[in-house]
Amino acid sequence: MRGHRYLLNKIGWAFFTIVFVILLNFFLFRVLPGDPARAGLRDPRLTVEAIEAIRARFGLDKPVINCFETLNPLRLGSCRVNPLQTQFFIYVGNLLRGELGISYHTNRPVAHMLVERLWNTVLLVGAGQVLSIFIGITLGIIAAWKARTTIDYTALVGSLMAWSLPTFWLGIILLFIGSRQLGLPIAGKVTPGGNFANMWEEWLDIGRHLILPTLTFTIVFVGEYMLIMRSTVLDVLSEDYILTAKAKGLSTFQILKDHALRNSMLPMVTIIALNLGFTVAGAIQIETVFSWPGLGQSIFEAVGRRDYPMLQGAFLLIAVSVILANLIADLLYSYLDPRVRAS
Amino acid sequence: MFRKIALLLVALVVLSWGVAACAGAPTPQAPPPETEAPQPAATEAAQPAATEAPQPTPTEVPPEPEEPAVVRIGWGGSPDTLNPGTAILFEAYDLFELVYDSMFDLQLDGTYTPGLTESWEVSEDGTLWTFKIRQGVKFHDGEPLTAEDIVFSYNFYQSHEDFPYLPVYTEYFESVEAPDDSTVVITLSEAIPNMESQLVFLYMLPEHIWAQYDDPTAAVEFENDDMIGSGPFKMVEYKQGEFVHLAAVKDHFLTPPKIDEVVFQTFDNQDALVQALVTGQVDMITEMPNTAVPTLRNAQNVQLVTGAPLAPELNDIIPNQTTPETCPEEDGVCSGHLALRDRNVRLALAHATDKQKIIDVVLLGLGTPGLTLIPDGLGVWYNDTIQDYAFDIDEANRILDEAGYADTDGDGVRQMPDGTNPLDFRLYWNNDSATNPRIAELLAETWGQIGVKLQPQALDPDALTSVCCPTFDFDIILWGWGSDPDPGFLLSVHLTDEIPTGNSETGYSNPEYDALYAQQATELDPDKRREIVWKMQEILHRDVVYIIPFYSEAVQAYRTDRFKGWITDQPKVWFQDPTSLTVIEPVQ
Repeated sequence: MRGHRYLLNKIGWAFFTIVFVILLNFFLFRVLPGDPARAGLRDPRLTVEAIEAIRARFGLDKPVINCFETLNPLRLGSCRVNPLQTQFFIYVGNLLRGELGISYHTNRPVAHMLVERLWNTVLLVGAGQVLSIFIGITLGIIAAWKARTTIDYTALVGSLMAWSLPTFWLGIILLFIGSRQLGLPIAGKVTPGGNFANMWEEWLDIGRHLILPTLTFTIVFVGEYMLIMRSTVLDVLSEDYILTAKAKGLSTFQILKDHALRNSMLPMVTIIALNLGFTVAGAIQIETVFSWPGLGQSIFEAVGRRDYPMLQGAFLLIAVSVILANLIADLLYSYLDPRVRAS
Repeated sequence: MFRKIALLLVALVVLSWGVAACAGAPTPQAPPPETEAPQPAATEAAQPAATEAPQPTPTEVPPEPEEPAVVRIGWGGSPDTLNPGTAILFEAYDLFELVYDSMFDLQLDGTYTPGLTESWEVSEDGTLWTFKIRQGVKFHDGEPLTAEDIVFSYNFYQSHEDFPYLPVYTEYFESVEAPDDSTVVITLSEAIPNMESQLVFLYMLPEHIWAQYDDPTAAVEFENDDMIGSGPFKMVEYKQGEFVHLAAVKDHFLTPPKIDEVVFQTFDNQDALVQALVTGQVDMITEMPNTAVPTLRNAQNVQLVTGAPLAPELNDIIPNQTTPETCPEEDGVCSGHLALRDRNVRLALAHATDKQKIIDVVLLGLGTPGLTLIPDGLGVWYNDTIQDYAFDIDEANRILDEAGYADTDGDGVRQMPDGTNPLDFRLYWNNDSATNPRIAELLAETWGQIGVKLQPQALDPDALTSVCCPTFDFDIILWGWGSDPDPGFLLSVHLTDEIPTGNSETGYSNPEYDALYAQQATELDPDKRREIVWKMQEILHRDVVYIIPFYSEAVQAYRTDRFKGWITDQPKVWFQDPTSLTVIEPVQ
């Protein structure tokens, strides 16, 4: 019974957060000055009629919401308009129907563009996260077990350095080395027009394209995981039950695996959940350096082009995934540590 | 069994990486070991109804007959859409030029050559154009291209007024008709001198595909990913923001390509673009940062070429010249500094602009000094007889002294002749420009020497538009225009009528200029029209309406060990244009 209430409570909060994000998302972009219908479109060939038609097509000719023609406080509008004919309620209505709108830049449905990009990002970020979590946790445990030895200090200094490297710079360096010395591809997800004989060849080609961005991602993230893992394991290892386990004659491996690891996982779960949520945004810098066709790259482009529907859709997707990741982390806590549920 | 083979494959590839890693140490060339399928393009066969696709027969081509000649092009952008109606970015137009045909083709020397038309006649009064259409032209799906398709296309562009660019080119079309399969008759509302330039971007669409998208919403939301045209290249695969894969149409009626395929790959990072060329991952790059030029000049097997771009960009320094009379009634704020209405001040600013230094510092030498608003890339329309105002600080100071702008309070900044309002100008530019911040710095330096102070500030393009025009809430702006092959569009920017529309950023108004514009728009004799266009440039230069710092050059580079025959001896450089891509061939 208590468990259910905990679950409902968490899900309720997640729901309200998403509603708040939707509201914020809509008004945030409309506070910005200027007219998205004209962004990037200054040309003597563009007639006044064409601009009006474009505005009408994207619904920009309608008031933002009752009493506000735009969100410019100097230009209030009439309050006596049908609320359903305002940009805000049209937006909400479309969302309820699962429509994210049409991109100003490409005239394509935002949902299609997001889905296309999402899988590429999940592939890159997923590979990078799995590698860095695995390596980070392993290194962290080893460093903690061998605390204050050469191994520990080497791992510690290495991780600190990797963590503090600027992502963009590291990416460029790896790009130069990878392309010049190893002949690795440096742009895109797959060799265009590669004429692959079968699926295997195509996947191998994608794999080759993944190497450099994944390596960059792993180097940047491994330090963070290692440092956190090391300090929590160090804490745990000073507990009395570890001493008891040692006295019982358990092997080092058993102590680490059964006693230290599980008890050190709580802070790791938090960090991993947070990172997973945020990395749906894509490692924007890594995707830009390696022209990886992921979400981060398209958000970067949409910002430059004032593509509001695309930005709204992408921000909503990121917010939802951060919130979901946190929800999952909360639920995992209660599994890993029953005390959380009780409190 | 299958698993074993698969494992073996993985092992082989892993091995080949290792080998590449060891072998590739000092030589930067080693292209990535491609695991090419030893068979003709699978995609080729999958293409619907590939009309007698040219199968390379082993007897004809000596060594490796199956290896298709694929030109890999790296570029920094990607098309916004493949729908010609709604496309805005020039990358999209680069593709349209390759995949579609139009009535005329624009050559790199600025002339027009017949495309789909064999011959044409113009009536005495210049309003009736009769085109004979080439017979036997086919769309990529095998359907014939007839006069009906041409009539459909022109009417389609004209009837969709929310297409941003193309409807303007049909502005003077009163009617378009096809009396028979091989004749198209266009009736104009008035005779115009630049008919070819109106037709050059109106791409022929297949009626049997586009007719169902006539509804305004459907017309703009049609993604056109199959892009069925009749041009020298056809679409194989398109991934937005990633790549465009085209195959040659070997039986194209006019310009059958010698290569087999073209791949455009998008690079979000310009350093990667340069690296890809140096390491042989691409065969040509369409752009690069100017800082990469020295590296590529010295790189092995790389040829770097500069020249005017196909559609030259105009960079301009814009002084706000609106007066209470010209200020737009509805939107105008017109807060421009009073001094900028005085030609003497603008003239002094022009004399104090060190164009050569701006080119050397900002463009690293890759540009020519600017003169008039018609860039040198527009060929005959560019009036090179105008004598520019020399960079001369003393002369600039003399002009301001004589006009009464003195520094009475000794703070280094001159005041208006009546002693008020120091010459302290707000200088804005678009923050997506890499060059404008440096130009602003250099201007502040030399203009400072004539007692003019600047308050430089970068604005995002949206904010810049809202202070610019038709609001006119600025003193000076650094900005620019793209250009059309015809000079008419750029000249129209300074018409009095364009002040309220927001196209004019200067607020300049001159009845003589307006009259000349109307005159050139209907002058059918090319030489007489050129004279008027030149006269208009003289007027704008005399009145110092714009200060043009430079005309920048296109910088492109290709690998000499892959393909030969790139067109480099023309006034313009544009390797991704059909002019190059239909004539290059593999280096043996």
